[in-house]
Amino acid sequence: MNDVVVVGLSYRTAPVELRERLSATMSELELELRSIRGGPVDEALLLSTCNRVEIYVSASAARDAARLARAHLARRAEVSLDSALYEHHGADAIRHAFRVASSLDSLVVGEPQILGQVKTSFEAAQAVGSIGPLLGRCFSRAFAVAKRVRSETGIAEGTVSISSIAVELARKIFGDLDGRRVLLLGAGEMGEAAAKSLAQTGVSLRVVNRSADKALALAAACGGEARGYETLASELVKADVVISSTSSPEFVLTDAMIRDVVRARRHRPLFLIDIAVPRDVDPRVASLDGVFLYDVDDLQKVAEENLRSRRNEANAAERIVDIEVDEFEAWRRSLEVAPTIIALREHCRSVVRAEIDRTAAKLGPLDDAARRTLERMSESIVNKLLHTPLTALKSSDDEVEQAALVASTRRLFDLDNVVHDLESPRTDAAPALRKTGEPG
Amino acid sequence: MLVTGLFVATALLYAAAALLYLAHLARGVERLERRTHIMLGAAVVAHVVFLAVDISSGRSASFEGIHGTLSILSLATVIGFLLATVRYRIAVLGAFITPVALLFFLASGLVHDVAPVSPAVRNVLLPFHIGMNVLGIVAFALAFGASTAYVLQDRKLRKKELSGVFRRLPSLDVLDGLSVRALSIGFPAFTAGVVTGTLWMVRTPDGAPHLSPAHFIGLVTWVVFASVIGLRVLAGWQGRRAAFGTMLGFVCALVVLAIYVLRPELAS
Repeated sequence: MNDVVVVGLSYRTAPVELRERLSATMSELELELRSIRGGPVDEALLLSTCNRVEIYVSASAARDAARLARAHLARRAEVSLDSALYEHHGADAIRHAFRVASSLDSLVVGEPQILGQVKTSFEAAQAVGSIGPLLGRCFSRAFAVAKRVRSETGIAEGTVSISSIAVELARKIFGDLDGRRVLLLGAGEMGEAAAKSLAQTGVSLRVVNRSADKALALAAACGGEARGYETLASELVKADVVISSTSSPEFVLTDAMIRDVVRARRHRPLFLIDIAVPRDVDPRVASLDGVFLYDVDDLQKVAEENLRSRRNEANAAERIVDIEVDEFEAWRRSLEVAPTIIALREHCRSVVRAEIDRTAAKLGPLDDAARRTLERMSESIVNKLLHTPLTALKSSDDEVEQAALVASTRRLFDLDNVVHDLESPRTDAAPALRKTGEPG
Repeated sequence: MLVTGLFVATALLYAAAALLYLAHLARGVERLERRTHIMLGAAVVAHVVFLAVDISSGRSASFEGIHGTLSILSLATVIGFLLATVRYRIAVLGAFITPVALLFFLASGLVHDVAPVSPAVRNVLLPFHIGMNVLGIVAFALAFGASTAYVLQDRKLRKKELSGVFRRLPSLDVLDGLSVRALSIGFPAFTAGVVTGTLWMVRTPDGAPHLSPAHFIGLVTWVVFASVIGLRVLAGWQGRRAAFGTMLGFVCALVVLAIYVLRPELAS
């Protein structure tokens, strides 16, 4: 019976210098997969992102497969990885795959990119034929778990970067941002990043700076238009969002100035994002009707609050993962039980068939109808006798108890020898047994 | 007995829908939103059946009385809200609008024995007067829901409380736009209702105009909404101040209805 094993390293265990030695491009992924497969490894998937590199394998000799995966990573990194590598087997490996796909193991919990990256890796593995029934089932469930986690918990709610928070807030004030006007005041890095994020939403961007050259350069970098500093008051009246990140030691946007602007705007909402330290906007303007002011501390607090809230939601997500891992394991155990059930049935039937043949020979020639009746009766006896033990084998929820039942059944009926016989080419039951015994 | 049973069932369904909308606003579970819509749909069906049985039983002679008017007002408010959700993504506003509809419906049950409209004041303008007032108040109820949500969202933005309810409420722009749209439908209708009501009042049998407290507060309601719209157009009022004005106007309208229900002698 095959087991799933994962060997890898992530931002938790390895610095970026080590991770970048192992990162693989798409074409490299396929080559890597071809080289991993073979030997003890039946199935393989390589996940390579900026935060993790992991090899998932399915193998009957799990320890050998894990050793091979470790050696493969060490060879690629050209340094010793022992302290950086982690290794999970069986249910732990499945849980790890589910947690990774659901972004529970991500640097920023709940970030959406990881699911796409896992899907890309899965498709690459499918393309080279290294995905079989076990990893196929594992990752298709991982995608379903990730979807469930996102829809049933708030793990993906709330953005955690300053730029995304600025965009989210602007959307909550103005709705659709397409065609809205954004004014970038100053040349701070964070201001530029926020302006770039907003520019992607279809806003019209204006850049005002004391230095005309800087304004032009920033406008070109963000996809906006530069305006002279003398136009600041009129640009404020036209703008919906103002991002201020100048290096001025005093307020650039004073209370009196914003009061005039609000009047001239006829109270249209104005969203002021003050990313400068020291601040550019007089905090008193926050009390004006229609003015929403967020400084860098406010935005940081929102980011921290969102992260905290995501971590709280992660507990609910972990419960979903636990349930899904249990279901996966139950499915996997059912694969182990299936060959025993088939072997037991075949063993009983072959015994009964042999006895019928012997009895029929003593009774003399039987017509077809009489023989069919005898066979139906024997089939019925076998089914009735096996009903209770088979139900017990199938329905056990406890892994240990089920393993004990399987072992007892095989010993009591000497099924290991029966299976051996059945798997030999001379018996009719062998193909059926092997087919049903495969993970589906 | 059947009518009473249907009334109770409808009220319970409205109450359940209102609670689910509130829970959805507080918790924001997607499945809850679908269930809430289904619950409200069931309440509408129950309400229609109740009205049909109520009319056929002869208990409610017409919708000219306050009992029938309130019942229709309740149903129309819910239908107006459901229609608005088709155009805007505002399901969470059910948390503010459904309780108002429930209030109207329960109030309709309180005034079943009110005297029928006297033939002296019944004329062709009466159905028009009632219809316009109902349309106006339905639109004001939607504007009230949007304005309440606006004030809440504005407060969340100012206090930097950006989780939970903040995420589920629509943007300020959508809420303000919905309020303006509802007022632009409701105010002309309500004005028509007020004008016909005034004409009717002047042409009372004794010919002497009489301004009852209910009529007076009705006129105040009109003045409040007229001021909100006027200030929006002339002084560029929008956002929080306009939302508070809209909420005040709707509260005045509720006071008028409350007088009709609780102190009918002050409405004549």
